[in-house]
Amino acid sequence: MTFFSEERAAELREVFFESSQEILQGLNECGLALEKHADDPAILRRVRRALHTLKGDAAACGYLDMSKLAHDLEDAFSAELPAGKTGALAELVLTAADTFHAMLSAYRENILPPPSEAVRACLQQYLGQHPGQHPAQHSAPHSAQHPGGGPSTLPPAEHSASRGAQFGWSEYEQMMIEEAVARGEAVYNVALEIVPDSPLRAAALQLVRNVLHACGSILALRPDDNVVVEDVKVIEAAVASSRSRDWIEQKCAIPSVVSAILIEKIEDSEMKIVESGQAHLVPQAVPPSSVAALHTVENSLRVDTARIDAVMNLVGELIIGKSALQQIVSEFEKRLPRDPLRSRFVDALAFQSRVLGDLQKSVMKIRMVPVEQLFRRFPRVVRDVAKSCGKDVALTVSGQQTDLDKSILDALAEPMAHLVRNAVGHGIEPSEERIAAGKPARGMVRLKAYHQGNQVVIEVGDDGRGIDSASLLSKAIERGIITREEAARLSPAESLNLVFQPGLSTASQVTEISGRGVGMDVVRTALEHMKGSVRIESKPGVGTTFLLMVPLTLASIQALLFRAGDQLYAVPLTMVLEITRATEDEIHRVDNREVLRLRDQVLTVVRLDRLARTRPVAVARRLYVVVVAVADRKFALLVDRMVGEEELVMKSLDGCLFDAEMVSGASILGDGTVVLILNLPAVTARLGKAQPLEATA
Amino acid sequence: MKKDLHLVGFRVGRETFGVPIAMVREIVRVPEITAVPNAPDHVEGVINLRGKIVPVVDLRRRFGQPEVQKSKTNRILVVDLADKIVGLIVHSASEVLKIPAADMEAPDTLLQENQNNFVIGVGKLHGRLILLLDLNKVLQRGELNGLNGLEQPALAKA
Repeated sequence: MTFFSEERAAELREVFFESSQEILQGLNECGLALEKHADDPAILRRVRRALHTLKGDAAACGYLDMSKLAHDLEDAFSAELPAGKTGALAELVLTAADTFHAMLSAYRENILPPPSEAVRACLQQYLGQHPGQHPAQHSAPHSAQHPGGGPSTLPPAEHSASRGAQFGWSEYEQMMIEEAVARGEAVYNVALEIVPDSPLRAAALQLVRNVLHACGSILALRPDDNVVVEDVKVIEAAVASSRSRDWIEQKCAIPSVVSAILIEKIEDSEMKIVESGQAHLVPQAVPPSSVAALHTVENSLRVDTARIDAVMNLVGELIIGKSALQQIVSEFEKRLPRDPLRSRFVDALAFQSRVLGDLQKSVMKIRMVPVEQLFRRFPRVVRDVAKSCGKDVALTVSGQQTDLDKSILDALAEPMAHLVRNAVGHGIEPSEERIAAGKPARGMVRLKAYHQGNQVVIEVGDDGRGIDSASLLSKAIERGIITREEAARLSPAESLNLVFQPGLSTASQVTEISGRGVGMDVVRTALEHMKGSVRIESKPGVGTTFLLMVPLTLASIQALLFRAGDQLYAVPLTMVLEITRATEDEIHRVDNREVLRLRDQVLTVVRLDRLARTRPVAVARRLYVVVVAVADRKFALLVDRMVGEEELVMKSLDGCLFDAEMVSGASILGDGTVVLILNLPAVTARLGKAQPLEATA
Repeated sequence: MKKDLHLVGFRVGRETFGVPIAMVREIVRVPEITAVPNAPDHVEGVINLRGKIVPVVDLRRRFGQPEVQKSKTNRILVVDLADKIVGLIVHSASEVLKIPAADMEAPDTLLQENQNNFVIGVGKLHGRLILLLDLNKVLQRGELNGLNGLEQPALAKA
């Protein structure tokens, strides 16, 4: 709005972008619900409320296109709904949600919003099926007009048919009316047609409004009091009045201003029906969770994640400071064991570290959000993909309450969408095939989240045809990703992992196998980026499950510290399988590659001392071997000395001037030493093939 | 009448260089430097600057001079560079120099070619020559292809 300062307006827009995401999510859910229960008034109510909020918010931010679209849609939904217009309605809501989403992203980028033709076409189509509606009205420029002609043109017989279209009150206004009726007041819908060529239009309109105000208390008015619209033909109002209908009619008949009058009493009984219908629907369609949600909205505060991150960083520094203090205290203890200050020092430090621990936990909790936020968007994805490939697929979700760091949640959205789309598109068989295989016709996609140690596991599973590993193998050999000999050596689990190979990632190559592998390397890369991993479980004919394992938080990690070539490094503990020892004699060269035989496994050797420009680890002595798993391949890292296990507060090296591909972050230890956290996928990719060789599969 | 230029003077090899004082955050002794694998040659590593991790560039190596023996006078100049913080290892950091703008000259073309335009001015102070450095260029040009985020030449602040 113009009377806001630019700064204030920008802030307002930010809030709008935030809140509108939730509204759109709500719209999406409503659309899906409408598909099942098309004429559920509770859902329609929610749609109307969402549209109304969007309209107001968008207008307040100056996004008139969006506001107008919301307005037109609201009109359509405020109208009396015809029975049996089920599919179109759901489609309309979903298309509208998409359009709003596109508009919002455009506004956010400060570019022109995309055209809203699709949703308007949908709207037209929907209205076209609606006998009481006049679709042409909706393409008219912004005005407070409502479908339905002037009252004078309507013979009494048509009144009831057009009433809904005419008095298109918003959700809020309707509520007010309902309340007034419930209080026992008489509420009239009044429509006055204004003489088109009346000389002082603005004054005439004001006059009419004044008359209406005189009739009783106005619950709703179109056009609004403060809107000056040039081409207003009809003024509509809902008036709660103690006067009789005739009295109002008489009062409103202003010569040479009002050309026609329509007054109808809003019947008590009519409202009752709606109310009773609502009453028995409430427990079912508006579950208690939404009441709870209402409460949380009141008690919650929207905070920019950057601010939380700033607090998180400060806590991280405090923790570094704490370990520094601890080191000093232990030094103190060693030097002055008898000093009376010593125990006071230790006590104070113990207290401080306890509080600090609590502080860290609380701040971490701020960042935690239930995975439900992520899962919510998948019913829509499943529906769209299932519809486009003509399948019948249901989605079940469990463990929505599992908490996860917000940034991880955001990063998971993309890979999960990929997996869900794949599961519906390729994993689930068409109904006929399923019935032939003795499975229920309706396919099932499962999303499940749960804690496992310091990790959160998210499962994306289907009960489809599973991955045929034999044909996957032959495809991989054909593509030259692995050799025939290598293929023979792969375990079943390892061969399944071939779907993550970029070479197998385009649909046309793999469709005849299973179709999996569409951008699967992207999924794996995304997970590795957040220090997680992905695993596949698949049984032919039974289904496939992807297990995404992600850390609880990105802010700190449990890490294993060791030295290699005089340098201190850390790797995430979750990637470490075991630590063992070996001598140089046990390292063999096979295929130009250095390998280490560990029990029955052959591991590729990675010499970490090659990372830095330092002298190599002395040969022929006993070395420490850290066995790590990177994307289900195992590597043996040769290190000089183990240092220990520690919780590290991650600091990214983004601010650095160079490309530090080998390092995913750094941390500062209690004594001030900087330790680098190795980016294992990059390190093993580079050093695992230190000697030139043809394939590393 | 222009104001004096306020420069932080430091020595690399036998020359005295200067950078505008506004760019310099602080000057610290050389702490333990952690080498970063696969980093460009002139990047010595990263240091812990009171809880911040700051990359360190060796200016001696950057200027193609033989690496001078580490000595106690070595310092790290912590500078603000286009919202990034970078440490520069210098032979020794001297003092704040005030040079009248009139005494600052554009460098000789010959020098420009030799020095890859690092030097954007030559000042005279008590008979000494002070080379005014454009740090954006120092950290951007030549083989420093690993640099991120400094591709667009920022305006020299001097």
